[in-house]
Amino acid sequence: MNDMLILVAAVFLPLFPFSMLFNALHSGLRPPILRALLLLLWPQVGLLIIDHNGLTPPGWLLAWAVLSSLLYALRALALREVGMWIGFLATSSWALIWLMLDQGLGAERLARVALGISVPLVMLSILAAGLERRFGAAYLGLYGGLAQSMPRFAIMLVLVVLAVIATPLFPGFFAMLSMMIATMPSAPLLAVAIGVIWLLWSWAGARLLQGLIVGPKTQAVDDLGGLGLGLYILLLAALIASSGYWLEAIV
Amino acid sequence: MDKLIALVPAIPVASAILIQLMAGRMQRRMAWLSVLATALTFLITVVILALELAGEGGFQLSLADGWGILISDPLSAIMGVLIAGISFIVHLYSIRYMSEEPGYARFFVLLDLMTASLLVLVAAADLLSLLMAWHAIGVLLYFLLGFDTQRQSTFRYAFWTFITYRLGDIALILAAAVLYHAYGSWRLDEIFAAIQAEPQVMSLLGLSATTVAAGFLALGAFARSAQFLLHNWLPYTMDGPTPVSALMHAGIVNAGGFLINRFAPVFVHSSDILHLLFIVGLVTAVIGSVLMLTQNDIKKALGYSTMGQMGFMIMELGVGAFSLAIYHLIAHGLFKGTLFLGAGGVIGDARRDDGVPKDDIYTFVVERRSARRRPPWLIMAIITLAIPALVLFVAHWAVSSEFYHQQGAVVLLFFGWVTGAQLIFATYRMRSENSGRLLALILFSFTVVVVGYTLISHVFELFLYPDAAFRSLIHSASSIDVLWFDILIVITTIVIVVGWLRTYYAQRNGKRGGLLAGRLWLSFYTLISREFYVADIYAWFARQLLRLAERLNIWLRWV
Repeated sequence: MNDMLILVAAVFLPLFPFSMLFNALHSGLRPPILRALLLLLWPQVGLLIIDHNGLTPPGWLLAWAVLSSLLYALRALALREVGMWIGFLATSSWALIWLMLDQGLGAERLARVALGISVPLVMLSILAAGLERRFGAAYLGLYGGLAQSMPRFAIMLVLVVLAVIATPLFPGFFAMLSMMIATMPSAPLLAVAIGVIWLLWSWAGARLLQGLIVGPKTQAVDDLGGLGLGLYILLLAALIASSGYWLEAIV
Repeated sequence: MDKLIALVPAIPVASAILIQLMAGRMQRRMAWLSVLATALTFLITVVILALELAGEGGFQLSLADGWGILISDPLSAIMGVLIAGISFIVHLYSIRYMSEEPGYARFFVLLDLMTASLLVLVAAADLLSLLMAWHAIGVLLYFLLGFDTQRQSTFRYAFWTFITYRLGDIALILAAAVLYHAYGSWRLDEIFAAIQAEPQVMSLLGLSATTVAAGFLALGAFARSAQFLLHNWLPYTMDGPTPVSALMHAGIVNAGGFLINRFAPVFVHSSDILHLLFIVGLVTAVIGSVLMLTQNDIKKALGYSTMGQMGFMIMELGVGAFSLAIYHLIAHGLFKGTLFLGAGGVIGDARRDDGVPKDDIYTFVVERRSARRRPPWLIMAIITLAIPALVLFVAHWAVSSEFYHQQGAVVLLFFGWVTGAQLIFATYRMRSENSGRLLALILFSFTVVVVGYTLISHVFELFLYPDAAFRSLIHSASSIDVLWFDILIVITTIVIVVGWLRTYYAQRNGKRGGLLAGRLWLSFYTLISREFYVADIYAWFARQLLRLAERLNIWLRWV
């Protein structure tokens, strides 16, 4: 029964091939609000199943989780559609939560981990919706030059992508750090694999930014408004502030 | 006084925030705000260094319990002055240099944040702060190098830097994980004290924690300091703005040397890793210098020169000359920063006048100048042999009676002799109207080179590592078996002397090698001109990965 429940949880904390379900659903949903809700709630459902049934992941599942994460991080390199990129990065990040489950962290902390990963993805999803509204598609290399045509939007895009790929001060950085620290003594190969995943995220993030913000100005479009900018700054500040919680947890 | 340390990174951060908020209102004047902030930061770092020199330093400030700890010790004080000083010059230079560029305010914001991150890095006394600053530098450098957002090429090469730095970042995290697990603390002082008490705590694969951590730290340093196989990004970052190149070559790329010095208590228990540093540094120094000599672009040549210098710095660390590596990175930072900031002017001058001297017949017959002569080679040979002997004698008398017994000191003296003799050989081939003056300059340069490697290293060592027991631990960790050491020195000397003699006779008799030698030389030149195919191999590997990702996506229907 427990194995069965773990497989169900593996749909929500997506492990390959169950992860295909989430990505198909995410690609199929067009309204930004539904996409945002999906990104926020999907991993929480998985965590709820695990917590409610008191499940502990078996040892073999950890390697599966890391390989799933690695697969999606690698596949994200070849993507040009921003929505799909978000789905793959979400899959790659959430799969690693299984490693934290193995550390016996409390349900509340794990929920925060998932939230810390989901919020930047939601922010990116809303920015992608903005691109679709302005250009008809959120697609790398199709128009480019956002730094010229929409400087405020470009700055927010850069900061959100940095949050997604787990750079310092954002919660993802501390989540990855604590995962590597936890796995290093018992499974050093897994720790190195997490490092490789992190490297692939950085590569994918750089490709995304280069495909969108670099290049000459192609057409005149509206930049991010004052309210939107303020909201994004507030959310990013909240994300950075929440890192204090992580630091306390690590120390 | 403890708050002084917090002010050092806080001032540039405040400047960055103010510029971002007030850029619209202040227009281009806001650059002066940034310059003033950096000048103030520089002054504070000078005060901190002065207090350290006076023995009144040793400040510490904790932002939280167990992390966010900043300290002032001799290493952080001297590095702080270097970073703030170079950053101040770069800021000042950028005011006019960047004035025509769009994104003027963004440039100064990034420059200020980079300065703050570098200052946090050198003052960090816990692993978490150090990791955050180390990561932030890589990210900020990516955006500084890719400052011109209109050109894809700038971002392409900035990406090479970014991904190499990320590799080093991850190595550093692995090192931190090993140290934290073995010694149970994030604080560097506690970790170092625990290492001193129990250095051989076992970690992975039957290796001690210090060896594993030192291995990862070395990898992090290699990536940051462009050591061979992780060097490709460095010469190709010239598409970035010149001030960024200056700051990068003067204050960022040498962070590898700083890192190893900061973790010296880990490295003294990892002899094998110190030997690895020596080998990697040696290979990098040779390859960097060879590649530098074949460039016809001044900025790319400077890039490869930095690679060679970084190799030399890592090699110094490998022979246990930790403090000399700091002296080297400071000296290199100053002269390379100057060269980069002056490169534009040199290119401009060269367009007006190539500066190639006219030949001897022209100057003698048309300009009626006296014939230029070479200094007698016998005198040059005597200088080559006599000066190191003299320095050895002076060092023995002035520095320490133990000087001869330190392998690191002998190796450095040896390299001082090799580089000095190389200089003599190069200048011997020069002809001058005033050979006496040339001879005096040669003598002076040679003395500076050799003395630099002995007396200055000693002074720096006393300042950075005042504990004599720790100094001797560094030297013993970097030593190898005496017999092997002597054999290596003798073989290297023979190779160098034979090389000199061959070059001398080839020059004198005007002989060129045979057909086979010519072909070999041509193949070697092709290899160098393609930069040993390292970039091609990486590009091929990246293409294969992208192709694999694409195929996987097609097979799995993009979900």
